[in-house]
Order: sequence, then C-alpha cells, then structure tokens
Amino acid sequence: MALQPARFYVDDRPDDGVFRVHRDVYSDPEIFELEMKYIFERTWNFLTIESQLPKPNDYITAYIGRTPVVVSRDAKGNICAFLNTCRHKGATVCRFEKGNSKYHICLYHGWAYDSAGKNISIKQREVADYPAAFDAENHDLIPLAKLATYKGLIFGSLSPDVPPLDEHLGDLKFFIDLHMDQGPQGMEIIPGRVAYTYRGNWKMQLENGQDPYHVDTAHGSFMAIAERRRKGQGNVAARELDWQKRNDVRIGSYEFANGHSSVWHDVAEPERRAVHATFDEVKSRVGELRAEWMIKQRNAVFFPNLQIADQIVPILRTFRPIEPGLTELRSNVLGPIGEPPHLRAARLRQFEDFVNPGGYATPDDVTVFADCQVGFQSAGVDFLQGYSRGIGAMERGANEEARAAELHPLASVKGHRTQNNELGTHAPFREWVRLMDAGMTGKKAYE
Amino acid sequence: MSASDDELITVGRDLLGREAMYLDEKRWDEWLALYAPDCEYWVPTWTAEGNLTTSPQTELSLIYYTARGALEDRIVRIRSGRSPAALPLPRTTHIVSNILPLEPPQRDRIRLRSSWACHTFFPLMDVNHTFFGRAEYDLARRDGGWVIAKKKTILENDRIPLPIDIYCL
Repeated sequence: MALQPARFYVDDRPDDGVFRVHRDVYSDPEIFELEMKYIFERTWNFLTIESQLPKPNDYITAYIGRTPVVVSRDAKGNICAFLNTCRHKGATVCRFEKGNSKYHICLYHGWAYDSAGKNISIKQREVADYPAAFDAENHDLIPLAKLATYKGLIFGSLSPDVPPLDEHLGDLKFFIDLHMDQGPQGMEIIPGRVAYTYRGNWKMQLENGQDPYHVDTAHGSFMAIAERRRKGQGNVAARELDWQKRNDVRIGSYEFANGHSSVWHDVAEPERRAVHATFDEVKSRVGELRAEWMIKQRNAVFFPNLQIADQIVPILRTFRPIEPGLTELRSNVLGPIGEPPHLRAARLRQFEDFVNPGGYATPDDVTVFADCQVGFQSAGVDFLQGYSRGIGAMERGANEEARAAELHPLASVKGHRTQNNELGTHAPFREWVRLMDAGMTGKKAYE
Repeated sequence: MSASDDELITVGRDLLGREAMYLDEKRWDEWLALYAPDCEYWVPTWTAEGNLTTSPQTELSLIYYTARGALEDRIVRIRSGRSPAALPLPRTTHIVSNILPLEPPQRDRIRLRSSWACHTFFPLMDVNHTFFGRAEYDLARRDGGWVIAKKKTILENDRIPLPIDIYCL
C-alpha cells in the first residue's frame, strides 16, 4: 500500500468508541524508516543510569534508534554523551558496551578523542598538508543535542527541539520514583547482560508490557508450574506469585501525555514482592501511599524506547529497532545499592525464573511476536482489533487512585483482573501519530 | 594417569554423551534421572564488559537452579503443550567434544569439562541456529551410580536470537 498520512494508520475515534491500528505500522519498511527519522531521532530516548558510570572516564555505549551513542563520565566527572562515530571516516570509536577509558581512539586511522568527546589527536596532522578550511572545522565527536537526567536515569535527544525532560516525563516521574526509591541509597543495575532479539516489530514489546490479556494464554504453561509450586515442588526458590491467588485482584491503566502510559495490578501476596522485605524502611522514607504503589505490579512505557517494569522485580527494559521485523531487547535488573546478600539472591531468582530469555515468560512472548509478524504479511486485511478492551469503563482524566497519588492522566481505567484492558496502548499510538504526522507534513516535533 | 583414572573418565564421558542423547531424543525422564536431587544447574550471563559472571548470588544468570525439581518444571512446561516457545518443539543435535578432566578423578567425584554445540532447528520460524559453548560438570557417585551434582553451562554466543531452554544448551 502506498504511504498514507499518519492519521490513516491509527483509526482513533473516541466518540464512537473506536481505536484500531493498521497492520502496516508493524511491517512496512517505509514506515519504519519514518519512525526512525520522526520518532526516535526527534524526541527523548532513555540511555542508561548514572550508577553505571561511577568513576571519571567510565562509559557505556547505547543506541538512539539506529544511531550509536557513547555515554561517558568525563575526566572532570561530568556526564556527557556523543555520537559513536569518528569524524574522519565514520567508524565507531568505541567498540565495547561498557568500560573505563581516558581516550576513545578510532582503530581505522587513529584519530583520538578524550572522554568528553573532544578531539585530541589527528594522526600525522602536521605533515598532512591540510588546507585552512579543514583546520577551521571542528573535529570533536558530535555531542547529543540534549542530555538530561531524572532520578539517575539518563536521557538524550538527537534533536535540540524537545521540551525540557522534566516536562516531557510529566507523571511518568511517579513511576520512575517507584523504581528508583526502593533502596535507601538508590538503585543500581545488577551485573549480567541480558540481550536478545526477536523477529517482530519494536512496538510489539512496548504493547506487550501494557497487555495483561495475553498472560494466561501465552504463558499458560506457567499455570501448570504454579500448580506444582503451590505444593512445594519445583523452583520454589523463585517465589513467583501464585496465579490462582490473582483471581480477585483489580487491574488498571493510565494514559499520559507524550506517549507514556502505565498498567498496574493489585497484588494478593505482597510478601512475595522484593520491596516487601524492607517495607518498613521504604514506607518511612517514601510514605505509605508510594510504598503501597511499589507493591503493586506495574509496567510503564516511556515512549519510545523504555519499559519501566516491575511485574516481577524492577527492571528497565529497552527496545532497539533494527528492522521492521527485528528488535533487540535489553533488560537491566535493578537492585537497591547495598542490598543484603540474601535479598539480592532472592531478587535474582525471581527475575531469572520469568522475564529472562532462559525463563518462563520471555521465550513465549518472542515466539508469539514472530507469529504476529508473519500474520502482518497477509493481504486483504487492514486494521487490528487489539486496542478496545476496557474502553467502556474508561474515565476521562484521573480516577480515584490517580487523584490520591496526585497523578493527572489523560484517561484512567480500572476493573476486575479479567477486564484485561488494552488502553495502555492508546497513549503510545497517539504520540506515534502526532510525531509521524509532524514529520510527514514538515512541522517541528514540538511547537 | 592410572588405569582406574581412565576408567572413571570413561564413565564420565559416557554420562555426558547420554545427557546429549536424552535431550536430542526427548527422553526427558531419563535426562532428569541423570541429575542429583540437590543438583546445581547454572548458566551464567556475561557482563557488559565481556567477562563471565562468577557468582549467581550477586550477578545475573540465564538460568540458576539448585534442585532437580526446578529442572522438572522445565519438563512440565514442555509436556504441557501450552508453551508457544515449544510449539512445535525445536529439534536439536548436540555435539559434545573435548571432554577432559578438570582434576584427577576421585573415587566418588569426577570433574570434567566439555565443548558443546547444539544445532537447533526451529520449525515455527523455519530457521536453524547453533548455540555453543563449554560446560563444566561435577559428577558424584550416589547409591552405586553416577549422577550430575553440578553443571555449569557457558553460552558463548549470548546475544540470544531465539528462545533458549534446557534442550538447546
């Protein structure tokens, strides 16, 4: 199908109770190109957290869409970020995911940069007969147009025309706080790389985190395992929630501005939540209401590249789009800095058992994403029907729970667990339309 | 190495071969029976700096179990027929080689290392992938027979493009 205006792809008519998304948004290479250009390259993206860079000259490498980036603590201790591409011939100057180095030296021709990205050497410059025009050029690595942090989370933008981070995050800060305030000295990323790819579009994982509806089918095999564990058999060390006890819990979603959203579930067994072990300390520090919110299972979307998820334990999961049907995920598992060893071990066992490529949920998710990607190739069918559950119970603005937490969502919904609403997908898709439309019609992303 | 050492290593090598065969032939109960009830089954991750993690208590693992019961969970899942990751079940061929003792074998304990590759066919996506790495085994003599007391599986290609499970490691 020839490219249509952005609004065509999301059939969003609130007054008629209609929200449908066209299959091409997941599979069309032309749309994927425009997403890179008009979404990833024109808004804030999550990069890493500050505690990954404790010392001067520490660095990590990351991506904004397809753009390779180095996030570094320079020699003076300031956080900075620059494009991981040499000014000379374009090679990446940093090949490693994480490390410490005063210098980043391109392995091709030896141009060298310091840990702030400043060019400190052009090999054999003095005998090169460079023209004056070359000397007049800046040779430093290109800094990100914007870089800002909130609660230790580092975000960057390739475009300078973005709102201040604080304003952009809005109420998502509440959900970041619920993650980052679980430890009295803050949170750290637990060592161990979890990197995997799936044969599906990047938005599938984003949506899947907002989709409690899939859990008892896609992860149905876990029911049989939960049954065993109830009897004390199997990997009881993982202390997963007993699915039978979930039956009476409530579930809800919020739609926020700028593409962010969050789903939440009440928890029938608070004692199995990692934060419960230090609940009194946490409560005394953050207050009763926020401590209770930490017990709830949550999954918030920072549009476009991060899930702030705590279905099992708090994680920061990034999506990196590679092709329309290929996405890389990385899970950063968080733990309180200074956490007692037995609690750290328990946290690890809980995570590994479920949302890990060697666990019980993730392998199922990635295979059903691949099924969808195959299905998207079908001719003769246009819009999907996976965005409507819960519309009938939706409230404009804040509901009771949101008001109590001083949140200001654009819309709220809650219901019995089996409502399994799909409304957490609306905010990301509305922002998708807004940013794609701005790009495709020659407008700025933010006015 | 003495003749009796060689005999013990042959016993160990045979057990590693049988493990691979049981996984490839989906003989799950026989596979489980190779493990001690209190076995440790560990698949460490690599760190972002490119080192292998060394402590499952402080660092992430891809899989870390300390009981055969946890391995039984995996089999329950496969047999449930309700896990999309195992429908249809991937077909595998393990090649296990370079089996060498990590230390001189003892009467009740044999420590071996192996190199392994698992050729895996995923019928769902019609793709083949080779997971590969090395492994370290602690075999223990229990009730007159030999069982796996510890297995540490190192997955060298850890940027994982397809679901992993006990049958493709």
